[in-house]
Amino acid sequence: MNNIIEFSFMYETFFDMLEFIPMTLFLAITSMLLACMIGLCGAIIRVRNIPILKELVTIYLLLGRAIPTMVLLYLVYFGVPIVLLIFTEKTGISTGFQYIPPLLFAVIGLTLHTGAYVTEIFRAAILSVDKWQMEAALSIGMTWRQGFKRIVIRQAAVFAIPLLANTFLNLIKSTSIVFTITVIELLGGAKIACAENYRYLETYLVVAIIYWLLCIVFEKIFRFVEHSLNFLRKGAAL
Amino acid sequence: MIEFKNIHKKFGSNEVLKGINCKIPTGSVTVILGPSGSGKTTLLRSVNFLEKADRGEIILDDLHIDVEKASKADIHNIRQRTAMVFQMYNLFKNKTALENITEGLTVVKEIQKKQAKEEALYFLEKVGLSHKAEAYPHQLSGGQQQRIGIARALALNPDVILFDEPTSALDPELVGEVLEVMKKVAQEVNSTLLVVTHEIGFAREVADNIIFMADGFIVEQGPPHELLNRPQENRTKQFLSRYISFIEYNI
Repeated sequence: MNNIIEFSFMYETFFDMLEFIPMTLFLAITSMLLACMIGLCGAIIRVRNIPILKELVTIYLLLGRAIPTMVLLYLVYFGVPIVLLIFTEKTGISTGFQYIPPLLFAVIGLTLHTGAYVTEIFRAAILSVDKWQMEAALSIGMTWRQGFKRIVIRQAAVFAIPLLANTFLNLIKSTSIVFTITVIELLGGAKIACAENYRYLETYLVVAIIYWLLCIVFEKIFRFVEHSLNFLRKGAAL
Repeated sequence: MIEFKNIHKKFGSNEVLKGINCKIPTGSVTVILGPSGSGKTTLLRSVNFLEKADRGEIILDDLHIDVEKASKADIHNIRQRTAMVFQMYNLFKNKTALENITEGLTVVKEIQKKQAKEEALYFLEKVGLSHKAEAYPHQLSGGQQQRIGIARALALNPDVILFDEPTSALDPELVGEVLEVMKKVAQEVNSTLLVVTHEIGFAREVADNIIFMADGFIVEQGPPHELLNRPQENRTKQFLSRYISFIEYNI
C-alpha cells in the first residue's frame, strides 16, 4: 500500500468492472431507442403543428431540458409509485407498483431526459430537408407518410446522425447517476468496489478509462454510419 | 378534361386568384402565360393541391372536387392522376436518377421492382439519359436533372402533367435541351399538358391553346397564332410587346 497508485489493483479492478458494462450499455441503448421514438413523434407533432399535442410537446421540452437528469430521475423514482398508489386507491385496481424494478424507473428517467433533446434534433433535421422534397413526393401521388418515410427522414438522417451521436455519448455518461436509485451499473459497481478496498482513486480511474473506451467505440460506430450516409452530401457546399 | 370553376385563392390579404374559370381538353397542350404575380403558378399548384385554393371546383374527367370540401381521399386521388415537373427540378436527393423514376412506380403504382426498373430505363432513354441511371441528382447538370424530372412524371402515365416554369431556373444554354424533350413529350404522349412558362417560342410552336393570366384573372385565351399575333386585350398586348419586338421582326 505504499504506491500512490497501485497498478496491479487497477488491472484486477478493470476486469471486475467489465461485468457492469452490459448494464450501462443496456441503460444507454434502451433509453436512446425509446428517446428516438419519443423524439420522432415529438418532432413530427411540432413540424406538422398538430393542435393540443403541440402544446404538450412544448411543455415537455421545457421541462425535459430544464430539469437536471438526477432530479428527473428522483421525480420518476419517487413520483410514479405515488401516482400509481393514488390510482389504486381511487379505482381499486392493483398496479403492483411495489414490484416495479428500479431499473425501469432508471430507463424511464433517462428516456424522458434524452427524449427532449432528441425531439429538437429531429425537428431541426426535418426542417433541414428542402420542403420541395415533400412536394415532389406528394406530386407523384405518395401520401404524406410515404413521403416522410421514404424521402424526408432519410435525408434528415444525414443531418441528425452527428447530433444523435453527441446525445448518445452524453447519455452513456448520464447512466452513471442511476446508482442513486439503487441500479448497479458501472459507477455503482465501482462504488461497491471502493467500499470494499478503500482504493478510491484507482477504482475511479478504471471507471474513467472504461467510459472513455466505450465512448471511443461508439464514436467510431457513429462515424462509420455518418460516412456511409455521406454520399448524399458530396458536391454540397459544406 | 380539366375544368376550373370559380377558383379563388388568397395569401393573407393578397388575392392571387380571383375566380378562374376554364376548360382544358384532354390530350391538349395548354400554355399559361402571364407576368409574375399573376397567379399562374398558384393555379397550377392548386390542381394537385400543393396549394389549396380557398373555394371553387376542380374537375378532372369523372373526379369532381369542391375545393372547400376536398377530402384527403379526393386530394390523394387527384395527385395519383397527375404529375408535376418543378422549376427547381425537385429530384429526390437521396435517390439515383433511376430510383427517382422507380420510386413512384413501386410505391404509388405498386409495380414489381424489376418491371419498374425496365420502365424507368425506357423513360430515361426517352429523355436521353440512360447513361446517367446510377447518378445522384447532385452529380447532374440542371438540364439533366430537369429531364429526369420529366421522365419521373412521364413514367407515372398520368392524366395530366403540370409543368411549373420548367426552364426558369436553368442556364440559358441548358434551356434548349429541356424544351426539346418537352416538345417530344407533347408530340408523343397522350396526357394533357399544362405548362406555365415564359418561353413564348415554345408556346407558339407546341401549344394547342394559350391562356393569358394577369392579376388573378384569365384575361384572354385562344390558339397561339391568334393570341400571340392578334391579342385582343390591352393587357395582353402590353405583356407581349416585350417579346414580339424580338420575335416578330425576325419573321
